[in-house]
Amino acid sequence: MTITSVQTLQPGHLAANSSERRVEKPVPEPYLVQDFPFKGYQPPQPDGFEQSKAHADTSAIVIDNGSHLVKAGWSFDKSPRFILPPVMSRYRDRKLGRQCHFIGYDAYVDATTRGQLRYAFDPGSSVVGNWDVMEGVLDYVFLKLGVDGSNGSVDRSILMTEPIANLSYPRKMMNEILFECYGAPSVTYGIDSLFAYRYNKGTDGLVVSSSHTSTHVIPVLDSKPLLNNCSRLNWGGLQSAEYLMKLMKLKYPTFPARMTENQMEDLVQKHCYVSQDYDRELGGYLEWTGLEDRDRIIQYPFTEHVVVEKTEEELARIAERKKESGRRLQEQAAKMRLEKLVKKEQELEYWKDLQQRLASETKKEIRRVLEAEDLKDEAHLERMIRDLEKSIKRSRNRDLGIEETEEQTEEMSFPLLDIPDEQLDENGLKEKRHQRLMKSNVEARARAKAEKERAKAEKEEEERLDREKRENDFESWIAERRNNRQALLQRIKDRDRLKADLGNRKSLASQMRMKTLANLASDGPKKRRRGGDDDDFGANDEDWGVYRSVAKDEQSDDEEEEDLGELLNGVEQELLQYDPEFTENHTLAAQSDWTKSLVHAFLRGPWPFDPESQREAHQLHLNVERIRVPEVVFKPSIAGVDQAGLIEIAADIVNQRFSSTQDRSRLLKDVFLTGGNTLFSGFEERFRNEIRGFLPVEAELRVRHAADPVLDAWKGAAQWASGSDFRKSSVTRQEYLEKGSEYIKEHDLGNASL
Amino acid sequence: MPPPAPANDESHQLLLNELDIANLHKPFRNPHWKPSQRRNKNLKQIISESARKEASVLATQANSGATTPGASFPGSTNGAQTPAEGSDRTPNLAQAAQSLSTLVLEKNARAGHLSGPAVTYTNIESAPSLNPAHQRHYCDITGLSGPYTDPKTRLRYHNKEIFGVIRSLAQGVPESYLEARGAHTILK
Repeated sequence: MTITSVQTLQPGHLAANSSERRVEKPVPEPYLVQDFPFKGYQPPQPDGFEQSKAHADTSAIVIDNGSHLVKAGWSFDKSPRFILPPVMSRYRDRKLGRQCHFIGYDAYVDATTRGQLRYAFDPGSSVVGNWDVMEGVLDYVFLKLGVDGSNGSVDRSILMTEPIANLSYPRKMMNEILFECYGAPSVTYGIDSLFAYRYNKGTDGLVVSSSHTSTHVIPVLDSKPLLNNCSRLNWGGLQSAEYLMKLMKLKYPTFPARMTENQMEDLVQKHCYVSQDYDRELGGYLEWTGLEDRDRIIQYPFTEHVVVEKTEEELARIAERKKESGRRLQEQAAKMRLEKLVKKEQELEYWKDLQQRLASETKKEIRRVLEAEDLKDEAHLERMIRDLEKSIKRSRNRDLGIEETEEQTEEMSFPLLDIPDEQLDENGLKEKRHQRLMKSNVEARARAKAEKERAKAEKEEEERLDREKRENDFESWIAERRNNRQALLQRIKDRDRLKADLGNRKSLASQMRMKTLANLASDGPKKRRRGGDDDDFGANDEDWGVYRSVAKDEQSDDEEEEDLGELLNGVEQELLQYDPEFTENHTLAAQSDWTKSLVHAFLRGPWPFDPESQREAHQLHLNVERIRVPEVVFKPSIAGVDQAGLIEIAADIVNQRFSSTQDRSRLLKDVFLTGGNTLFSGFEERFRNEIRGFLPVEAELRVRHAADPVLDAWKGAAQWASGSDFRKSSVTRQEYLEKGSEYIKEHDLGNASL
Repeated sequence: MPPPAPANDESHQLLLNELDIANLHKPFRNPHWKPSQRRNKNLKQIISESARKEASVLATQANSGATTPGASFPGSTNGAQTPAEGSDRTPNLAQAAQSLSTLVLEKNARAGHLSGPAVTYTNIESAPSLNPAHQRHYCDITGLSGPYTDPKTRLRYHNKEIFGVIRSLAQGVPESYLEARGAHTILK
């Protein structure tokens, strides 16, 4: 079921000047939807491993295990060597009879691999759910990093990121894999956003990290995270993309192409932005002015139905052919008419000749001749001649194109009618009967004519009165017209509603109909009350209305529909002519124009929509969604997340959990934004402006963005892994075997701190 | 949309062979590594498992005097429940208590107990908003402001044109609109 514009009613204030809206700007070039993110073959980079051989015990493999992108490289690198989504496509190729594993972007290479795509992370969370995929991703990483495994293990320390307050099960599993499958000598875990903060040289501040699956706020004092006071909002880039997908599927329920999560993610990144004043901007978002700039068109690939376009020449030829055949027909008809005419003229001549001949014949001879010609008497012959003459004249006139004028039939006299029957002989009686018939004929014609005249006069009189009323009592006249129009609109509306209701089995209209049917089927109570068997159905014209109410198909209503439309048109014409307040914009046609429709602006932007065009059918329009989707992180209730918004969380942490004003001001002096979901334009400004409202006037507030909100976590981790703290904090294989999988060491950037 | 057929089957197969890592030699893997068959768990399973663990931790915290036992922990004996019921806690109860306990924990933290309970995945989840200013309503169809609610479908709408749209929606569609806002009915 598609949403379509149903506006037929007239909110007066909406009636802006429609001609102004007609000024059309050309439709801008639509944005093409993103294809699958296949990046081509990534060759392994074994030079890093060679380099690490020189100082095997101080270099480490650093993996930022993000739920959106896994970044991997060496601790001595400046930036990660490999960035890949944590996905795997694993299937058995039947033709080749072997297993196939495609990891990361490679899994998007063709339709088969995409069909088998699996995610490492549990959907919507930063917790690994599918360990087979995770293992595949790690295999890929180690292969590409050129780990040679000369002693059957990875043989390098590993630093990996994990979510804040990681659950024990995922950590246990990760430890198991890293130590037992890959034989890592030591493993360290840390929190990504804290690495990013350290990389950006922060020591005291409030870390706000909005990433792919969640948004965290972590206060940091003296370079130590206060995890007791951190908070998580279950909303991130992934949820935004899913939300946009939901909205788009509801907005275009019959969209012909398949929307994918990747595409939605791309749209969120490219077109969404954080509004500075959401409610105000929202209020005018679908307004006509500037909608061209706010509305973004996304084009999906399509194939236009080929309409066989005929060339000018062909069209001309077809027209010519049509004309030719028409002409031929006309010619034929004319020829036939001519032949008939000639025949008639010959006949006429023959009869005239006969008449003349008869004039000089005896009565007996006349009768004989007439009988031979199948005629009754001379009058009959005369009549025939007259008729023929008339018809010849008529057809001649038609051929010559002369307008036929109804010649006044000579006043007929019926002398025999006044003579009593007794005085007439047999022939006379016959003639009298004939005359009586003729007379009643003539009289009936006269009556009809008079009736027509009278109706015409009445109408004229009515018009005159109407005019008089308009001239003398304009107020009430115009009021009457307006009421009339309203009544018509109401009737149209009622009719539409009834039509719609009949489709619904439970509606009142349907129930009434069923009741009528049931009454008709059983002998209704009405009839019994009247008593007797005599069924006077049909005596009253209104009885037949029952068929109208029982009939379900709309065909019977069509005439009425036409009627109502016509009537409304008439009234509107009059109002247009005489009512100074009623302009073109107030007519129903103008009101239900697409340019007035909010729904149209929402679905199709400020441009007309052609449902035939495949190109337009494959277009998405992003308008309100552009600010609606990023807004959720500030107002999670929009998307049904029952949590406080980011600003409220951050302000609460600062204001409620830190009693000392000194601590508060230290936090506020460095509010640090990181994570891919903070990349929306306007995010920083909005955060700064809005959190201001929760703070005392004198509080100093500084908000900054990470230099690279996506990669700084990895860079920070690599930097830290080159330092001395890393050695102290890593859990060695020996310790793992002794103390079990839940054992981790405290350090300033991890989930356990002193 | 149908995927474009690879222009050349042979070259595509070569590309696939290049990308496929299934048959590459992985010397760094322990050849004797046999992962457990049932190691894949979803978040819900993991949380409900850890919730049991957490519950016992919480119980000791509740008794530590940081909070009053009755208010903070519905599982403890408070007269309304028999001790048997209280001790036989189901994960469901723990879940139901979760949002409440989050609120309580947050309140504790505010009261200045900086050395509060241990940080767990579930208890760092932020609490529902207490700010009434954030309970603004928006139109379910367009996302504009939504001052009205249709009593039949419970959808919020912007103006009467949108109302007309709502009334013309097919069966089941209003429910999916509600779902986008998390206000749909869940039958259990």
